Amino acid sequence: MVYITSWDEFVERTVQLFRADPESTRYCMKYRHWDGKLVLKVTDNKECLKFKTDQAQDAKKMEKLNNIFFTLMMEAQPAKKGRGRKQ
Amino acid sequence: MVLLQPDPFLNELTSMFERSTETGSVWVTLKRSSLKSKVQRNKLKTAQQPIEYRCLIRATNGKKTISTSVGAKDHQRFQASYATILKAHMTALKKRERKDRKKAAEDKKESASKKPKRA
Repeated sequence: MVYITSWDEFVERTVQLFRADPESTRYCMKYRHWDGKLVLKVTDNKECLKFKTDQAQDAKKMEKLNNIFFTLMMEAQPAKKGRGRKQ
Repeated sequence: MVLLQPDPFLNELTSMFERSTETGSVWVTLKRSSLKSKVQRNKLKTAQQPIEYRCLIRATNGKKTISTSVGAKDHQRFQASYATILKAHMTALKKRERKDRKKAAEDKKESASKKPKRA
């Protein structure tokens, strides 16, 4: 389990991981209220990246990351031969 | 595993967060899926039809699991509601202690300004 300390690094690496294998990559979030902890995990079943925090500012960053992931997941499979995007 | 429509899912998620304020955790997982078997996917690929992807969202409190599948049309609305729910419930996280930061910044400034005066 790799815990990443820098948020920006976490975002960059998880997006790379997703782009490399969108079929098997998943994004998990665990929140414990009484503990005041939030843990994020992104894995493609081969590699796992985690980020843990207890800071409210990171919750805001996590929401942005949620948006990124939602958008990535909705993208249709990128056409390798460049058959052109929706026009 | 209970599969729900996006709106009931959000309601259930809210009550899950509310119930686990004293004990326990809430896990939420996001994954892309076309919800079709490999055979069907291969057929679509050979027919060169675009495969429609959906976002599978699962949530559990350790005892009960709920899930929903969000398509491209609903995903923006779902995203907004989901973000609102999270913001509303993640209140236990520590806020940045601005007072301490200000004090630390002021102390640094004071020590920096004092040194040249003394010298």
